[in-house]
Amino acid sequence: MSETAVSIDWDRANSEDEEENYDDDEEDYSSPAQSSPRPPPSANFEKDRHLVYLEMMYELLPYHYQSQEINRLTLAHFIISGLHFLGARDRIDKDVVAKWVLSFQALPSNRVSLKDGEFYGFFGSRSSQFPKDENEDFLTHNSSHLASTYCALAILKVTGHDLSTIDSDSLLLSMKNLQQDDGSFMPIHIGGETDLRFVYCAAAVCYMLDNWSGMDKEKAKNYILNCQSYDGGFGLIPGSESHGGATYCAVASLRLMGFIGVDLLSSDSSSSVIDPSLLLNWCLQRQANDGGFQGRTNKPSDTCYAFWIGAVLRLIGGDALIDKIALRNFLLKCQSKYGGFSKFPGQLPDLYHSYYGYTAFSLLEEPSLSPLCPELGLPLFAASGI
Amino acid sequence: RTLDRELGNMDTDETLPLSQRSEWSDVVPLTQDDGPNPVVPIAYKDEFRETMDYFRAIYSSDERSPRALRLTEETLRLNSGNYTVWHFRRLVLEALNHDLYQELEFIESIAEDNSKNYQLWHHRRWVAEKLGPDVAGRELEFTRRVLSLDAKHYHAWSHRQWALRALGGWEDELDYCHELLEADVFNNSAWNQRYYVITRSPSSGGVEAMRESEVSYTIKAILTNPANESSWLYLKALYKDNKELWISDPSVSSVCLNVLSRTDCFHGFALSTLLDLLCEGLSPTNEHIDSVRALATEEPDTNLANLVCTILGRVDPIRANYWAWRKSKITVAAM
Repeated sequence: MSETAVSIDWDRANSEDEEENYDDDEEDYSSPAQSSPRPPPSANFEKDRHLVYLEMMYELLPYHYQSQEINRLTLAHFIISGLHFLGARDRIDKDVVAKWVLSFQALPSNRVSLKDGEFYGFFGSRSSQFPKDENEDFLTHNSSHLASTYCALAILKVTGHDLSTIDSDSLLLSMKNLQQDDGSFMPIHIGGETDLRFVYCAAAVCYMLDNWSGMDKEKAKNYILNCQSYDGGFGLIPGSESHGGATYCAVASLRLMGFIGVDLLSSDSSSSVIDPSLLLNWCLQRQANDGGFQGRTNKPSDTCYAFWIGAVLRLIGGDALIDKIALRNFLLKCQSKYGGFSKFPGQLPDLYHSYYGYTAFSLLEEPSLSPLCPELGLPLFAASGI
Repeated sequence: RTLDRELGNMDTDETLPLSQRSEWSDVVPLTQDDGPNPVVPIAYKDEFRETMDYFRAIYSSDERSPRALRLTEETLRLNSGNYTVWHFRRLVLEALNHDLYQELEFIESIAEDNSKNYQLWHHRRWVAEKLGPDVAGRELEFTRRVLSLDAKHYHAWSHRQWALRALGGWEDELDYCHELLEADVFNNSAWNQRYYVITRSPSSGGVEAMRESEVSYTIKAILTNPANESSWLYLKALYKDNKELWISDPSVSSVCLNVLSRTDCFHGFALSTLLDLLCEGLSPTNEHIDSVRALATEEPDTNLANLVCTILGRVDPIRANYWAWRKSKITVAAM
């Protein structure tokens, strides 16, 4: 389930980049119910079922998630932030969670080591995190990761932790080491792919810490603009096919950095850094006849794009133009009777599609869900620091 | 491996748990310290836990040996998204000066089970970069194989674009796109690749030089399948920096009219293209007016752009709100 925009492995067979219809998702536990005829989908967002699902996952993730081990913080974010959307903050122990998350922070031993080119963010899991060397007191094997850092801060914000108590100086100063000449970001200083996902993570991190010293915004903006495709959407890297998740990263980053304002569509488009009408058209064309949103032209609809593209539309002021009833009907078909959401109708749920199912329903203003901050993908109350 | 078993070879028999292989008897596995009150614990299977324990041990001791290389392979087969393991494998490959052509094969074998992870492709790129232009053909061949199983594989397309840029091989790329489009004209990735080639290939003269042939190609595709959004988007892209030409080029106008005159197909993209042209300043001819009016089921609007929006609301109902909004935005210039 390398899903998550954040670890942002959209393209796994288990996850995001859809591809063939009906490839089976990670949770392949077999169920006798698989062979019986599918009951009609519920006409409602089944909040209680989702609570059961998330609580079950919070207690213990089934072994199928072991291949996601490296992204454990991301899985935690989906569950904990998901519970908050469902109004169930009381189901978790905030202090335990905060302490656990903070234990993933990579801390330099001193200011000098900040110049060593490493990134001092958060690890994604315990699997490669070792205690500091007793003799030398330096951090061996620092593989802290930008996406995990986003998830860590998201969880802390959602649980109401005061971010001013964490060492954000080292984090931000060292985050600059990850930015490339072309404005893009690497996720980890030891080397990795560079693309829009990590530009978004960096912008979200700066925004949440309310401190932009961690990145060169102008360079980041230029990289983003270079990613806009001929059809108005954005690809993950310049030249790539336009893609819902990439488009979200592009537009949300521009908003977070302050390069585009609210209601882009009604303002004079010649003053805008992006082509808003082409973008609007691309986004709205992604709604298929089955009511769901597709991630790319001529691909099948997938639950998560209801968020990725729905949020873009909210950010540019075009979300009133979608067919909300048709979208809702599609999403309800992807709602699992076990709780959670799957990417296609009638499949088994997974955490990634569940989280983005909740955020999509929040965008649709489902009454039982907390409102959403579209540019952070988090509950609004978390974003505003309440 | 079967032979190992038959010979009772407990050294390297990979079907045995690591703790039972004599090859690893000198290593103390390093368990994961989940700390007190771990949140969202995972129910690891024993094999997974054990393999990770041994990996942690050699990672921590920084052992860059042949057995370490084999262990990273075992670990990656359980957990191909683990970027720490991939990173360490790279360190070991360098330390051992390992044959990188063999490494290309290793990557291909991992890709068989799961080719949709960023770490695998990043690793592939790292290896290919080291091997240089000699592997240009091989990278194109590998991505072609992956695309033959999934013609829209996002990672494969990114890697292919990188390989063209870094290693070369542009000459046959448009033909390859055509091959894919013959198989599925709705393949948006292949259309995107066409655009990539004409705008970035060092031997292409750019959109200006390629426009005529590409417009001709695209119009053929549109007429074969007017409901294919990809081809209409591509057509518009060919005039991206030249709106005047887009409005004045008779090919553009005529493909719209051609499609609108047909009774057997979806008219939505022809209509929206015409709407865009009108909003950009196209002066409609009688032919335009007549073919749109022929589709109107209600009292035709005198404002052609308005009428197009009305019809679109009917033929493309999921976007009814959008077409109504477009109608509200029609300025005097488009009347």
